[in-house]
Amino acid sequence: MRLRDNHLFRLIIFVILPLIGLIVTSMNSGSYYSGLVHLFGINIILVASLNLVNGYSGMFSMGHAAFMAIGAYASAMLTLTADQKVFLMPALPDWLMHLTLPFPVTLLVAGVLASVTALLIGFPVLRFKGHYLSVATIGLIVIVRAVLDNEDQITNGARGVTGLPDYASTGIIFSVAILCLFVLYRLIHSSYGRGLIAMRDDWTAAQTLGVNLTTKKLSAFLISAFMAGMAGGLWGHMQSVISGKFFYIDTSFKIVETSIIGGMFSLSGAIVGSALMTFIPELLAPLETGITLFGVQLPELYGASNMILAAALILIIIFRRQGIMGYSEIITDSLFSRETYLSLFRPDQYSSLAKAIVTLPVRSWQSLKARWVGQKHKSL
Amino acid sequence: MDTLYVLSQLVNGLKLGSVYAMVAIGYSIVYGILRLINFAHGDIMTVAVYTILSLVTIFGLPLWMSIGASVVMAVVVGLIAERTAYRPLRAAGEETTLVSSLAVSIFLQNLMMMIFSPQRKAFHLPENLTFLHNFNGIRLSTMNIITFIAVIVILVILTFVIKRTRVGMAMRACSDNMDASRLMGININHVVVIAFIIGSSLAALSGLMLAGEYKTIDPMMGFVPGLKAFCAAVLGGIGSLGGAVLGGFVLGVAEMLFAGLMPTEITPYRDAFVFVVLILVLMVRPNGILGSREGGRS
Amino acid sequence: MKKTLKKTLLVMLALMLAFAFTGCAKDKSEDEGASPAADTINVGALFNLTGGQASLDQPSYNGFKMAADEINAAGGINGKMIEVKVVDGKTDQASVASAAKKLIDVEKAVVVAGLSDSNYALAAGGVCQSNSIPFITSGATLPTLPEQVGDYAFLAPFGDNVQAYACADYAIDDLKMTKCYLLIDQSMEFTKTLAHFFKERYEEKGGTIVLTDNYMNKDPDFSAQIDRFLADKGGAEILFISGVPDDAGVVVKQFRDKGVTLPIISGDGFDTPLLMEVAGDAANNVYVGTHASLENTDPAVQKFVADYTAVYGHAPENAFAALGYDTMYLIANALKNATDPTDPAAIRDAIGATKNLKGVTGTVTYEEGSRVPTKSVTINKVEGGKFVFQKEVFL
Repeated sequence: MRLRDNHLFRLIIFVILPLIGLIVTSMNSGSYYSGLVHLFGINIILVASLNLVNGYSGMFSMGHAAFMAIGAYASAMLTLTADQKVFLMPALPDWLMHLTLPFPVTLLVAGVLASVTALLIGFPVLRFKGHYLSVATIGLIVIVRAVLDNEDQITNGARGVTGLPDYASTGIIFSVAILCLFVLYRLIHSSYGRGLIAMRDDWTAAQTLGVNLTTKKLSAFLISAFMAGMAGGLWGHMQSVISGKFFYIDTSFKIVETSIIGGMFSLSGAIVGSALMTFIPELLAPLETGITLFGVQLPELYGASNMILAAALILIIIFRRQGIMGYSEIITDSLFSRETYLSLFRPDQYSSLAKAIVTLPVRSWQSLKARWVGQKHKSL
Repeated sequence: MDTLYVLSQLVNGLKLGSVYAMVAIGYSIVYGILRLINFAHGDIMTVAVYTILSLVTIFGLPLWMSIGASVVMAVVVGLIAERTAYRPLRAAGEETTLVSSLAVSIFLQNLMMMIFSPQRKAFHLPENLTFLHNFNGIRLSTMNIITFIAVIVILVILTFVIKRTRVGMAMRACSDNMDASRLMGININHVVVIAFIIGSSLAALSGLMLAGEYKTIDPMMGFVPGLKAFCAAVLGGIGSLGGAVLGGFVLGVAEMLFAGLMPTEITPYRDAFVFVVLILVLMVRPNGILGSREGGRS
Repeated sequence: MKKTLKKTLLVMLALMLAFAFTGCAKDKSEDEGASPAADTINVGALFNLTGGQASLDQPSYNGFKMAADEINAAGGINGKMIEVKVVDGKTDQASVASAAKKLIDVEKAVVVAGLSDSNYALAAGGVCQSNSIPFITSGATLPTLPEQVGDYAFLAPFGDNVQAYACADYAIDDLKMTKCYLLIDQSMEFTKTLAHFFKERYEEKGGTIVLTDNYMNKDPDFSAQIDRFLADKGGAEILFISGVPDDAGVVVKQFRDKGVTLPIISGDGFDTPLLMEVAGDAANNVYVGTHASLENTDPAVQKFVADYTAVYGHAPENAFAALGYDTMYLIANALKNATDPTDPAAIRDAIGATKNLKGVTGTVTYEEGSRVPTKSVTINKVEGGKFVFQKEVFL
């Protein structure tokens, strides 16, 4: 029995340990490390929802930053007080000026508005293939940015909106993230998801089998935009400052990169990719400040971490083309399977876990040897 | 609004368009063969321009020699990128190579920033190139005229190479079907290397033209023109050289006419307008103005 | 088999990474009881050292660091050395916010300073405010920034309103020009605010804005705007261009190339050697309202320029270097006067009480209750490839 097949093991690694991590995070909210974990949570939503479009449906959208922007501004409009809105968004209609909604509701509205935008842009552009769609979605970002920067009376223009209340707690970020992952997981493993995958793999064949391409594409795009809108809302309330330049092409590029690194055909890939792309740059940061020895500062090399990251990115995609997780769903499979949670009450799981751990050194040695021998003889 | 005013804005558009067109040809020639959106194209431009600046200011080399060296430099960088970041991924999906080109772009930008500092620097061409000719109130520099002519000449030469020579035939074959071309005995790597040599040299030249026109350079300068030129290539029909040039001019003219003729309240929507035009054109002609029917393989 | 093993390893690695961090967070918070080493004072420096803002923030950080070294060489703050802890904000809002948290949380900075763009300064300021750590922006000039952020936020430079008013006053009172053409970079908070205040004052004083046009940042081609202006000048006597240093030389050069010889006036965004380097003789007859004149013969300014050149091998890139330098002295002065230089609230009060602190970019005084300094604005004019001091405007 391999360790990773043990449900109890999965429960510990993928559920209990992360849960402990999250509890610790929420107890230290406001600290630097919690900030990173929050960012990680929001990245999961963004990347997982992008994977639905780019990985499972075979389209290639780069427009996530635009949906984030719409979500963030929508949720700002619904959570700021009337006093703030008079100052920042004087042209809002009266009813909106005095409307303040609870945060979860504003997130839903943010998602809906992002979806509506996706619908408007989706009709014309989803017919485009491959790179044409990518360009059109980059166009969407540019258009949204132009509106945000120039409609001073509604968005406060390039000055941006400040003072968003700090509603994005660990609890709400990760509730949304888990919920999104769950919805996506169920969608992908339903007949709807199989239709999407069929469309990705061979759209002519899918069409002959009765898959309606237009509705499929559009619906996947809308769902994805909805989640990106919610993530944008969360992001805004985490940062408390939003402005057009933060939702620009580079933001989208980063999400796409993360998606490819983790593996865009896998929701677990979204989790792994987000973890790497959120935490690794922070680990590299000390390299840049140079080392201080008795007050003597050694040369500082700003940009070094970006360069290392870029080189690492190229290496990762060369050696694992499908991203780190490829097509595997080990994390989400464990998270959303009843087996995992029931294993807590199954004695045989405990004994097999113990056995797997005890035999781990032996088995890894054997598998290493097998591979080495196998490679030597070019067999297997 | 008199005719001369519209005409002057039209000339402004052609001036901008010829720079876009120049960059777009480079994009297109690589895309045509590899189906690779090379986001690092703009940064290769930057590398070339910094090469010229360093050679002229530090080593005092004459301009023509520096330009030659910058073309060589651009080709070297382009080929290194091809060998290390694109070739190992050739069998992978278009999305994967796209991300790898983004990584190359980030790498080059940060490298340039480390070596040359992020400060913008002045970039001057000799007096005889920046001399302003006055055509009935419309002023154009010698460089503007050279750029415009260069775009046309390069288009003609490349079209001839692709249509009439053996190399060109190999390039077209690879563009149509890479696997079949390999079976027919075409050395794919050679063809790709040639495409990158042409693309990178064009990047070097367009960098020179961009920097000469705007007189400043900075490590991030390649990105925005790169993106716009990419749109131009898509607008015209990516993969088609004539399309790239046409797309560049259409984009430049549309941008300038919008900025010049619309009321100033809506001119900040200039970039948005460019993309609206792009989307509208693609709706009518899904593969761009001059795109072939099968267009981009999806 | 091989793949699954590798995959599992990678997943475990990623998760371990993720939660190693949360583990750290806990350890750190427990450590907080023990006070940091008593012989140094940690000052957080938050600058966008890479990305689009780097051209302003790197000089600013250089000046900041140089001032700290000078202060330490002179014996520090009451015997305590200043330790500058720097984090790169990467011109990315999420990174800036997380950098601010890192400076406070991990590096234990008692005061954070830096940034030259209001959007980023607002993000960083918000983090500092919620952690009750004083934040001084070295270069952002949004006058409402302290109000928007809270009582821990300060501006080291003057507000945009001050420089815009000074420019408007100078154009009308000294140059006697009452018809103005306005060109605004629409993509920046700074340029929009500056233009807004300029217009307000200019019209208040009886001037007329004959035409307003705009461009977007990083658009290097202004020919459409220039031709529009040429087609209908409306009798303009002066041009106010609200732009950033990157565009300064280019836009002036293009106007002059098209035959516009009218005087041009702008704010501190045009205070950059690029203006002369790029535009050459075309830059003559350009007026700039700014923090200081680096050509100023004032010995303090000349000493700064000479020291900077000695340390970094080139003259200060722009006025932001001087601003960074002054910000460090502002902090040092506050630390010296604070009742307890380890208590952020005491430092805040000491910064707020700063009076008549002379620096390279002018004299800083925070009026009672205001966290934007009252500083004079220097009007320089380009003559023969140099900034020539014209007038110091007090408002």
